[in-house]
Amino acid sequence: MIDQQLAEVANLSIVIAIVLYVLALLGFAADLASTSQRRSDARLEAKDRAEAAVPATVGAGPGDAAGERPEPEAPAEQPAAPGSMSPQTFAFLLSSAAVVLHALGVVLRAVATARVPWANMYEFATTSSAVVMLAFLIFSLRRRELRSLGTFVVGPVLLLLLAAQTFWIVPAAELTPSLQNSHWLVIHIGVAVLATALSILGAVVAAMQLLTARHERALAARRTEGEADPAHWGGFGRVLDRLPSSTSLEALSFRIHSVAFVCWTFTLIFGAIWARDAWGRYWGWDPKEVWTFIIWVIYAAYLHARATGGFRGSRAAWLALAGFTAVVFNYTIVNTVINGLHSYSGL
Amino acid sequence: MARKNRTDRSPADKAPAENVPAEEPAGEQAPDSQVASDASGETSGRWSSKQAPVSVPALGLRGTLLFLWRQLTSMQTALVLLMLLAVAAVPGSLYPQRSVNPALTEQYLAENGRWGEILDTLGFFEVFSSPWFSAIYLLLFVSLIGCIVPRVMVHARQLRSKPPRTPARLTRFVGHTRVELPGADAEELLAAAQKSLRRSRYRTERREEARGAASVSAERGLLRETGNLLFHVSLVVVLVCIAGGQLTSYRGQITVIEGGGFSNSLTQYDSFESGAWYDSADLPSFQLTLDDFRATYNTTQTPQNFGQPTSFEADVSVVTPDGEPTTQTVEVNRPLRVEGASMYLLGNGYAPEVTLTDPEGNVVAEGPQITVPLGDTGYTSQLVMKAPDAQPEQTAVVGYFLPTGEIDENGPHSVYPDLLDPQVVVTVYQGDLGLDGDELPNAYEVDVSTLEPLTEEGEDTPVLVRLYQGEEITLPDGSTLSFDGVRRYAAFDVAHDPFERWVLIGALTAVAGLIASLFVPRRRVWVRVLPREGGGAVMEVAGLARSDDPSLEDDVHALAARLSAGQDEQTTPTDDPPSAAEDTTPGRDTP
Ligand code: HEM
Repeated sequence: MIDQQLAEVANLSIVIAIVLYVLALLGFAADLASTSQRRSDARLEAKDRAEAAVPATVGAGPGDAAGERPEPEAPAEQPAAPGSMSPQTFAFLLSSAAVVLHALGVVLRAVATARVPWANMYEFATTSSAVVMLAFLIFSLRRRELRSLGTFVVGPVLLLLLAAQTFWIVPAAELTPSLQNSHWLVIHIGVAVLATALSILGAVVAAMQLLTARHERALAARRTEGEADPAHWGGFGRVLDRLPSSTSLEALSFRIHSVAFVCWTFTLIFGAIWARDAWGRYWGWDPKEVWTFIIWVIYAAYLHARATGGFRGSRAAWLALAGFTAVVFNYTIVNTVINGLHSYSGL
Repeated sequence: MARKNRTDRSPADKAPAENVPAEEPAGEQAPDSQVASDASGETSGRWSSKQAPVSVPALGLRGTLLFLWRQLTSMQTALVLLMLLAVAAVPGSLYPQRSVNPALTEQYLAENGRWGEILDTLGFFEVFSSPWFSAIYLLLFVSLIGCIVPRVMVHARQLRSKPPRTPARLTRFVGHTRVELPGADAEELLAAAQKSLRRSRYRTERREEARGAASVSAERGLLRETGNLLFHVSLVVVLVCIAGGQLTSYRGQITVIEGGGFSNSLTQYDSFESGAWYDSADLPSFQLTLDDFRATYNTTQTPQNFGQPTSFEADVSVVTPDGEPTTQTVEVNRPLRVEGASMYLLGNGYAPEVTLTDPEGNVVAEGPQITVPLGDTGYTSQLVMKAPDAQPEQTAVVGYFLPTGEIDENGPHSVYPDLLDPQVVVTVYQGDLGLDGDELPNAYEVDVSTLEPLTEEGEDTPVLVRLYQGEEITLPDGSTLSFDGVRRYAAFDVAHDPFERWVLIGALTAVAGLIASLFVPRRRVWVRVLPREGGGAVMEVAGLARSDDPSLEDDVHALAARLSAGQDEQTTPTDDPPSAAEDTTPGRDTP
């Protein structure tokens, strides 16, 4: 039976998480704004140091090498007054608290319905955004320099949660027969949640990679024209200065996308196994199947592009973003506009 | 060796790649792993078509074919074909596909006139079997095969060959460390290096070099390329097995009413389709009876969920192909499996028992009549019953079966899917049912436009008959209609694809290869030891990443530290700046 009261509590928990995310977003943004100025000074200094010691020749991808700049080191602790904390730490702690509530909401929804919480769009969105945040926080626990990406992760997560909360929310309900009796619900959709979350995270990193690459090229161009302290894109440019270099974002994006691609491959295979159990055929070009196939092929193309002369770096990153666009399409338009066998979304 | 094979691909490779470890195996240059590009175009990789000769006209027929073949099997082409494949699949989800739902396709065609016809000619309603879609994936797979066969050869040779020579200058490689070990014994150091590297699963090779130096060259992660090849080969296997399945599989639809049975032969199917190589003699002989069909529905008052089904269960008694009688409950996601076939519960509905007696007193239609649910939550179902033998005129009973009936301004409809208040609401038509033609008529449809509805004497509005369960009514012309009871029916798909197991095995192998290919780091590590004249030795350690390999540098440093620590007592390690190491580089004998 469905425990509607508990479902209410679950929803409340997510709403509070949203509020905390908003605050965290403000914190991350304030951090970027406040430090970007100092950063651009530090950048100059670092550059001078880097020019003195040319690094070993192995490891530079040819793609964006032109605008390469040295890695910002672990963020300098903020010169905050003793006893107070930097906006970044504040935002990091807030988002940690938010993700705990967020995850709690997801778990309570599962308890209330006595099943896994990913049987409709609302549940899918809340769960996958929780995974995005968890993954981001875990990554940036060890690699502190990634925390500067906070704004660009919390932002999309908030968007997704707000869409879920306003457009897709449905009352907690039992599973329809087509979703019952199947451990594939847990396996197939569980992996799909993971794959989607990684795609979101990967797209954020790929987008930042594209922006920093362009920014770096512009800076490099100005430097060759003789500008001593070139600026580009004003305030936003200084925000970009604060991010890891495009080369290291590229490497990160690749790592995320390669795990994502494996997850998508499993999603495809497990989905096929389930389809065979449920409908008696493992593949039938149902719209959802078509789009998962498209996503898979685009990400395969991305991985290929990374190994193909003339496509590395920015061009490959565009393919990663194309893959993400297909993911978004698959979970919005395909679920709501195009009718197929997968239209279990309750919309 | 490996190089020879490469030359038939890209002429530019013939230029000796000085300074770069000479045996760069083909096709594995991940962007981050490239050795600095002083190696004359080496970096654009073997799979780049850029290096193919461009002067087509001079090549002659054979040359032109070769040129085209190289273009087709280049990475760029593969990439473009992959992108094309993704784009070409899109219309398959936007336009109603015949293979998925032919009725929707017909509806689209009817609504869109000329435009629909154009789309149809272009194959937009059969995208996945259209010539253009097929061309893309066939080209892709030809390209794939043309690409992997030579790579398999190269890789097989590489697996048998020794790790490549230690480069002359190690200073340019990852984590280069140079240590002076005044009290060290060169021999011992090399043995320790080899042992340590072997323990970390490197393949190692010790080589003597000029000026008394010697080095251990180690390599690890060939599994990466093995995995990559396994992945691509498995894709071909999957495709071939899918094609095999299409040729040999079959699939059919059956409908069974409670208490009724089915025995697996072609005549019993509502519809049946099979591949070109399928032999109907292979149809396994099994029989089944539908003992009971149960459905439960949501009774909570939230409007969204009210009346939504919560379970469907079909109890069946089966006699399997080998004569074994068993019973099973078939549910959605829980098919019945017998040797050579599986049976899936895909639909259900009601079969009201209706009896029609003509004015002469003969029963002309009776029994449970399968009705077609219209798709609303309440299971309002279309009822069509034909009585071709009725006298004086052929008769058809057309209307609705309503599990929980209501008639209001929306007409007759059902408000709840379960049998709370079952009713039959019908109109009776008379005339020629058109059953004599060649075309097999659909049992669940009738064209009423050519028939006359029954009316009350002297009026012209058709009689709407509403019957509750157990009722009987006499119609104006003297015939009688009774509604005696309701049974449920279940619709099953019976299907078998002998290849699907192989598709799965192929797909899982592909993933295994993919994981190895993406996550096994491929790297080389070198340790060079140059004995010092007055005793002791100089040791150099460095590595080369052939893939994303963030921990290589740490590993190289750790190895250097470990080896020097082994010679502990006498050492004075100096972490040298790269520039200082340059002029003392030993081992100038490498080409
Ligand atoms: C059916 C179409 C294909 C698909 C879905 C596909 C997919 C992939 C994927 C996902 C990867 C990255 C993972 C890995 O390294 O194993 C990859 C790598 C690779 N593919 Fe393909 N591929 C296809 C066709 C081809 C073709 C036609 C070629 C030859 C031109 C090719 C050559 C390569 C090479 C050389 C790599 C290794 C790249 C590297 O070193 O990182 N593939 N492929």
